[in-house]
Amino acid sequence: MKYQLQLVFKSQKFVTGFVIFAAVFLLILFYPLLVTKNPLEMTGGLFYKPGTYVSVTDAVDTQSYKINKDVVTGKLTKSVTAEEQQLMRDWLLNYCPEVKPEEVSDAKKAYDIIELWLQYYDKTVEMEGATKAVKNQYVRLYDKVENILESEGYIVSRKNAETGEMEEVAAIETKEFVNVKDIPNRVTFPLGTDNFGRDVLTELVAATRTSLKIGLLAGTVATAIGLTLGLLAGYVGGMIDNVITFITNMFTVIPSFIILILIASGLGQAGRGAMLVAVVIGFTSWPWTCRSVRAQTISLRNRDHVNLSKLSGHSLPRIVLTDILPYVASYVVMAYILQIASGILSEAQLSMIGLGPSTNKVATLGLMMNWAMQFQAPLSGAWWAFIPVVLSIAMISFSLNLMNTGLDQVFNPQLRE
Amino acid sequence: MKRSKHLTAILLVMILTVTSLFAGCGKKNTTDTSADATTSEATTTEPTQAATQTETASQDAAGVAASLPREETLYFAGQQWGAINDYNPFSSNSNNWWIEQNDDARVMVYETLFMYNQNDGKLYGLLATDYEQSDDGVFTIHLNKDAHWSDGTTVTAEDVVYTFDAHKRLETNQSSMWTYIDSVEASDASTVVITPNKENYNPLKILEVLPKLYIVNKAQMSQLEADNGNDKDKIKTAKNENLIASGPYKPYYDDETKVVVIRDDNYWGQADSMWGKLPVPKYLAHNIYIDNNAGAVAFEQGEVDMSQQFMSEVWKMWEDDKPVSTYLDESPYYECVSLPSAIFNVTKSGLDQVAVRKALAMATDYEQIATTAMSGYTPLMSDSPPALMNPTDTERALIDEAQLKDLQWQGKQVDEAKALLDEAGIKDTDGDGYREYKGKKIEFTVQCPSGWTDWNSALEMVAAAGQAIGLDVTTLWTTAAEWTTNYLTGNFDVIMYTYAGASISNPWTRCFQTMHSTPAKDGENASWNYGRYNNPEADKIIDEIPTVTEEAKLKELYTKLNKIYLTDLPCFALMYRPGLFHTVNESVWTGFPQADDGSNVPPTVLTDGYGIAGLYNLTLAAK
Repeated sequence: MKYQLQLVFKSQKFVTGFVIFAAVFLLILFYPLLVTKNPLEMTGGLFYKPGTYVSVTDAVDTQSYKINKDVVTGKLTKSVTAEEQQLMRDWLLNYCPEVKPEEVSDAKKAYDIIELWLQYYDKTVEMEGATKAVKNQYVRLYDKVENILESEGYIVSRKNAETGEMEEVAAIETKEFVNVKDIPNRVTFPLGTDNFGRDVLTELVAATRTSLKIGLLAGTVATAIGLTLGLLAGYVGGMIDNVITFITNMFTVIPSFIILILIASGLGQAGRGAMLVAVVIGFTSWPWTCRSVRAQTISLRNRDHVNLSKLSGHSLPRIVLTDILPYVASYVVMAYILQIASGILSEAQLSMIGLGPSTNKVATLGLMMNWAMQFQAPLSGAWWAFIPVVLSIAMISFSLNLMNTGLDQVFNPQLRE
Repeated sequence: MKRSKHLTAILLVMILTVTSLFAGCGKKNTTDTSADATTSEATTTEPTQAATQTETASQDAAGVAASLPREETLYFAGQQWGAINDYNPFSSNSNNWWIEQNDDARVMVYETLFMYNQNDGKLYGLLATDYEQSDDGVFTIHLNKDAHWSDGTTVTAEDVVYTFDAHKRLETNQSSMWTYIDSVEASDASTVVITPNKENYNPLKILEVLPKLYIVNKAQMSQLEADNGNDKDKIKTAKNENLIASGPYKPYYDDETKVVVIRDDNYWGQADSMWGKLPVPKYLAHNIYIDNNAGAVAFEQGEVDMSQQFMSEVWKMWEDDKPVSTYLDESPYYECVSLPSAIFNVTKSGLDQVAVRKALAMATDYEQIATTAMSGYTPLMSDSPPALMNPTDTERALIDEAQLKDLQWQGKQVDEAKALLDEAGIKDTDGDGYREYKGKKIEFTVQCPSGWTDWNSALEMVAAAGQAIGLDVTTLWTTAAEWTTNYLTGNFDVIMYTYAGASISNPWTRCFQTMHSTPAKDGENASWNYGRYNNPEADKIIDEIPTVTEEAKLKELYTKLNKIYLTDLPCFALMYRPGLFHTVNESVWTGFPQADDGSNVPPTVLTDGYGIAGLYNLTLAAK
């Protein structure tokens, strides 16, 4: 055993796979200890982008520092793109009745063109031939840049609950800054939020955990069934072999995913807990394990040591367990790893088509994908809602497959170097 | 051996390359012929006599429909999913884009007497010019004398009378209107008199029919009846290919990928008494997409001009410089007129307890639903607090909000909801985290069809709220067909459904559907009040409202009714929802109706009710 383990860990592929898997495993083990919030809590809003969010009123109340920086230029470069400046030029040249063309061509710098446009822009000017979309574009642009050139600062006031009058709370200069660390109310979404406003990172960790559990359970069920039936069919042979082979062939001919869909939709949403889904996946993915175990058992059946055991009058379970199983064990372990990987993928596929477990109780990788797709995350550019999910599915199945290949190299005499 | 394998491989690759080349060329050819197809179309519109010619004509139609001239076609999405069943206005299941006989009927092919305009809540004449109601309740309707059918014959009062009678005779879905109507008669060729049923006097129910019922051609439809041996069921499921209608468009082509109607250049509405011109697009085409996502992508690309789909974060499209706009420029972007609600089955143990219903309504986070599930396309509950009324000013004016204030819930009141349940004696006694009622854990499902994104997500939040207050609530997605059967037969715990939105008879119809007791027994189909709520006092108020004309009295009754609603909660609204998600892409067409353009055309995607007026104002966008 010890020798075999040493052998296994000499395989580079296995070690790489193992390290990736261990990293994922450690993450889902320790992250919940550090971040204790409920992964299903809806704190944010629809697809908030990754970043730290600070309370605006807190920022007003927090002690401020004076920093000498040209804030207007900073805002200009960040908020007004070259296309938007071009839009302003277009408006001035095509729709503005008053401006002189030289004025427009003279305004070279961003500041100048914005100033010129703000001076002339009037939303009531009839834009001949322009579509509503274009008109709206200008209105929105105006709202955005209206105050951008101001360097006066703001005065913040609050409505007095009793008198109804506005009372000044603070005057804010443009050169006033606050240290983000001072602000008491901060929320960080390292990977943004999903369509429900849940923190994607926290949810992702919880989902990976559930998906791993589903994969493990599905793999265990599938391997247990496949192994038992395969051993029986292969060793006993005869009628039992015929019956089992018949059933196995039937399951092989009908694509297992279709059976999976049928069972899953038959169960109905109400009956579908995450673990039940795992069992269903396990029940539909055993045939190939069964077939290969049967084939190997048949080749072992007539070996000398098995025949000796038979002659010694050992019972069937004992022969199977002590004389056959150890010889197929390495293969079964590899099959088990593959079954885990395919279990995770199957859950993702099922959830993608809306047949996964209920969302409000657990998060799974498939469900996260499903909701991201339903809310058209790829269309609205909310990459954080699905790319991390895809990556974690890929990482897990990649690492498991890598471990499998590594084991194969060690145990398969044909591949052994 | 090896050599031959090698050769086969090379051969295979060559075959593949050649076929793919051919396929590529083939595609090019079909696009190139689009111009030819349009010219050949002109010949097919001429009358055809022989059956063989009709055959070729339909083939041509298929050809043309495959590549409609873009500058003459207005593309729609989101109103048709799957192939059309029939063209029959008597059918209960046409699944047909251009047959939609509801409060705001779709009037491109078949036309109604009047068109409803949700902007001002008024009726506008279509086949009829005006109506008057005498003191004894009798409606007199004057038809537009210019109106004629697609075969050139005039639309007469006889046709109208036939339509009403046929619905009664055939027991169609619309036949319930006869509960309130005593007779429909033609006093002359262009005047129709509707006498209400004295025992069931409800003028709202009669008014409701006017913008809803398609007027059909008597000659053609009685022929259809005769052809089907006067068998009700056969007539109601007949395809009705040879229809004669009065609208500006005629059916042109349909299959499982698209539905196309073509303008009838002989349309009567060119008369000055109606529109005075023809609608601008020659073809209206509705693409049938596999799902919302496919439709949204096509819309964003400009392949669809007018979309009625829920597309989350629609503003991202114009931020991406796509020529997209909505009816309102700012949040909530659309006009919200309906109240998608979670309906309680009050016959189920646990849900028969007002405390459980109210606690769930209180714990639900409406703001989160509004901003995430509905993508902000809805006024917040804090601005329009819970009531049976939609958030429009006209309906809100009918209630005294001050009297309702104490009964209304704000949402996300988890602690108050818990206290309410504790007070009602519904507690967690066995420590499993869930409350029991009569010794049984309270668990129920909240259901709606799968793939209805905004509803699914809203119900997820209801379920989350239930879990937070110790009720084991889980979501249940079904197919749309199952969902329909379930709400009709009462086979649900909590089901999401929208009662009537905006119409000439609302909010009364909505109140009736929500609260009026139903005669349907357990397992039978209910036509309204799917949760089987029963309250004689509410019935009395609902029965009284239609006959009341005095404003103060009306307000008093509606306020009373709202109080009962807020106290008993037969259902609770999860959001306010636009009737239609009127979103346009101006890549090809422009001049779509907008909230502030002064045209008074409602955001009903250019097809429903008075929204069709928008089709006459379109222009091609400058390139």
